[in-house]
Amino acid sequence: MSLSDDTATRAGERPVRRRRRLRSRRPVAVAAAVVAVAVVAAVLVASARGGDDRPARQAGAGPIAGGSLTYAVAGTQVSLDPAVAATAVTGLIDRNVFDSLVAQTGPATFGPWLATGWKVSNGGRTYTFTLRQGVTFHDGTPFTAQAVKATLDHVVDPATKSAYAASLIAPYKEARVVNDHVVEVTLARPFTPFLQALSVPYLGIQSPAALAKPVADYRPVGTGPFSFVSWEKDKRVTLRKNARYASPPAGASHQGAPYLDDLVFEFVSEDATRYGALTSGQAQGIAGVPPVNAAKLKSPADFSFSAQETPGLNYNLYLNQTRGPLRDVRVRRALSASINVDQLVKNIYFGLFPVARNPLSRTTAAYDASAESAFASYDPAEARRLLDEAGWTTGENGYRVKDGKTLTLVWPYWAEGNKEQRDVLAQGIQAQAKLVGIKIERPTVDTGAFVGTYLIGGAYDLVDVSFARPTPDVLRFAFASGNTYAKAGGNVALVKSPQIDHWVEEAAETSDPATAERDYSSVQQEVLRQAYVVPLYTPVQLTAFSAKVRGIAFDAQTYPVFYGAWLGG
Amino acid sequence: MPSLARRLLRRLALTLVAVWGAATLAFAGMRLVPGDPARVIAGGVQANATPEVLDAIRDQYGLREPVLVQYGVFAGRLLRGDLGGSYQLNQPVSGVILDQLGPTVALAAGAAALGFTLAVAVALVTAGRPHGRAVSRALEFGSISTPNFWIGVLLLAVFSFRLHWFPVIGDGGLRSLVLPSVALALPIAGVLAQVTREGLERALDQPFAVTARARGATENRIRLRHALRHAALPVLTLSGWALGELLAGAVVVETVFARQGLGHVVVAAVRGRDFPVVTGVVVLSALTFSLINIVLDLLYRLVDPRMRPEPA
Repeated sequence: MSLSDDTATRAGERPVRRRRRLRSRRPVAVAAAVVAVAVVAAVLVASARGGDDRPARQAGAGPIAGGSLTYAVAGTQVSLDPAVAATAVTGLIDRNVFDSLVAQTGPATFGPWLATGWKVSNGGRTYTFTLRQGVTFHDGTPFTAQAVKATLDHVVDPATKSAYAASLIAPYKEARVVNDHVVEVTLARPFTPFLQALSVPYLGIQSPAALAKPVADYRPVGTGPFSFVSWEKDKRVTLRKNARYASPPAGASHQGAPYLDDLVFEFVSEDATRYGALTSGQAQGIAGVPPVNAAKLKSPADFSFSAQETPGLNYNLYLNQTRGPLRDVRVRRALSASINVDQLVKNIYFGLFPVARNPLSRTTAAYDASAESAFASYDPAEARRLLDEAGWTTGENGYRVKDGKTLTLVWPYWAEGNKEQRDVLAQGIQAQAKLVGIKIERPTVDTGAFVGTYLIGGAYDLVDVSFARPTPDVLRFAFASGNTYAKAGGNVALVKSPQIDHWVEEAAETSDPATAERDYSSVQQEVLRQAYVVPLYTPVQLTAFSAKVRGIAFDAQTYPVFYGAWLGG
Repeated sequence: MPSLARRLLRRLALTLVAVWGAATLAFAGMRLVPGDPARVIAGGVQANATPEVLDAIRDQYGLREPVLVQYGVFAGRLLRGDLGGSYQLNQPVSGVILDQLGPTVALAAGAAALGFTLAVAVALVTAGRPHGRAVSRALEFGSISTPNFWIGVLLLAVFSFRLHWFPVIGDGGLRSLVLPSVALALPIAGVLAQVTREGLERALDQPFAVTARARGATENRIRLRHALRHAALPVLTLSGWALGELLAGAVVVETVFARQGLGHVVVAAVRGRDFPVVTGVVVLSALTFSLINIVLDLLYRLVDPRMRPEPA
């Protein structure tokens, strides 16, 4: 019997029944309804839409000065001092407050900024910078050689507890003030990535007067296009136009003050909320567009969408070559060949993230596309052959067995660090490895265990990580034997190769670009041939702005540059 | 009423014990979790702190001392009301908490007021009325089983992003409090409405209700003046639970609505193993819970004359 039949029957049979009204005089209900209506009405009145603070329209197509831009970002920060913080969002915000000594103008080229010129001497150990004149910090302190020295000394001071900046200039020995506008920096050893390090916001030049204050009273004071106004923790950072701005970097969009009056960074960690804030006009721009929503923003009538591939190390899977089955290069290559990275990455990220076939992203200097030939790319038949050859036979459950032991790899899952659906990608990898008989276990671990037991304790076979920095020197960070995690490095494959050490060190010290390029190229080939690493995808910064926002550019670090931004009609 | 005074004193003493216990548990918990606090202080997993920096931190925070010595230092400071300084924020913990307390209290108070009002109104209207009860039970179960998170996203999508009534970004003042309060209040209102209605229905079935009715009291009067008081007892009991829900829900709601508040502070502190901040919040919560329970205890007496001590 269908539902409608049933209902019809019952309706037909329903006896005539007088509703009892013994206790239903209704004033309570009426009163409640009145209250409810009143509340809703009050709320509606209170919420009449606020005014729009876009600047008045002017004639002409040129940039219009004025207005406030709200940029919503994920994540939050613990300190605004670029020398202390390691979080990307701090770099993004501080970029507008601080100028650097030099500007990165291309994958391997640098132009003047606060330094008008520089000279390298003493076999690459001494950098002499000539400084721009007539520049003042937001607090009125003049910019001199003393400020450069104070900034660098502040970064390397252990009391600063620098989480990132100090590691960028590890060979820094001392800075010497030659005169007000010349500073001489001495390094403990030749170090070509030095200029690149100086170009990032984490080494932005700070006002010595501000650095002299107690840590609890720290305010970021630089020479940048915007000055710091306020930081409401976990809520927003507000910056204001520096009307006296006079030190834009080489290649800047214009000279003089920025166009925007106010620049507000709102911390909105929830993806859906951030996206909604943009589409409803509450924010004029957002970082971290959810890939699911990206397609909707690509039609450019109301929004401009941009995907910036991050330079540096791709999102890679590193194979711990010191432990268990992965000591055998054949097993490492078999694992690499068992994973159909192309298919997984395309399906999970809607084609927005480029599939990687090299540990370096293709926007990095010294990226060598030909290294791909050394990569054990997807080939399950080859994977099975390699496992057979290495003596791993198929046992019950389909997993490979040798000497009574199942071929099991431990890949800790650090949930707090998960982003960009990397857990889903890992599930795909797990499933595909299983097809050739490799068992991947993913214990969920908290931060303490992840660092203590795994990264430092070494009880893992696989670890996944990405590391953005626009220099090929990241290869030294990731593969030099001295750069293990315990020593503040990123060599999580625990590579111990004198050959690789030689290449990355020579490349960091040589003044000959051709030698450096050849060395970096050799490293890329070797780590793929040895299958220390399985490249997965290149992280992409997905940003979107309202179509009203004009003049946004992106710097070498893929940060949006707000100096030339303005609000159109 | 000397017995009441003595009772209050006893409760306050117990409160101190509870706070001490909570603080000790927090201390133990943060020490039992594996991992090196120095590395956490230096900026977490992604940080590239050098061994020299880590050593400096261990010295500065006394992390090389035996755990018992560290506990002694910690307990001593707590006795003086000093919660210490945050590992990550370079600020005293009391400052961190005070800064963020306001928005959370506003959110929790708004949600509590809304939740209780809604629950009592719904219960009064639907108690003993089969049709109304059926509809409201369905809605209540819906609101109880829907996570705050999802309610929040739905509210935002409709009332902020589509209708533009309530901004999620910027200084909306009271307006920015409406949606988060609703998201936080609904699940609590669902439970409280059920309990209140059940209490009301039980009371309405009792002889005194019949008596009142027989004397010509109106239905409103019976419900508001007679039955509600009886229904209030189990609701009071549940208020303690509701407070816990409010604090737990605040963490989620603050994230969805990008609000400032203690929820954010706690999440960041637990993730970052910012031990002094975690302890500070734990102490504050234990204190709040205890004090609220004392107040509830007094309220019981106010609501129910049977619980007042017999005059000698």
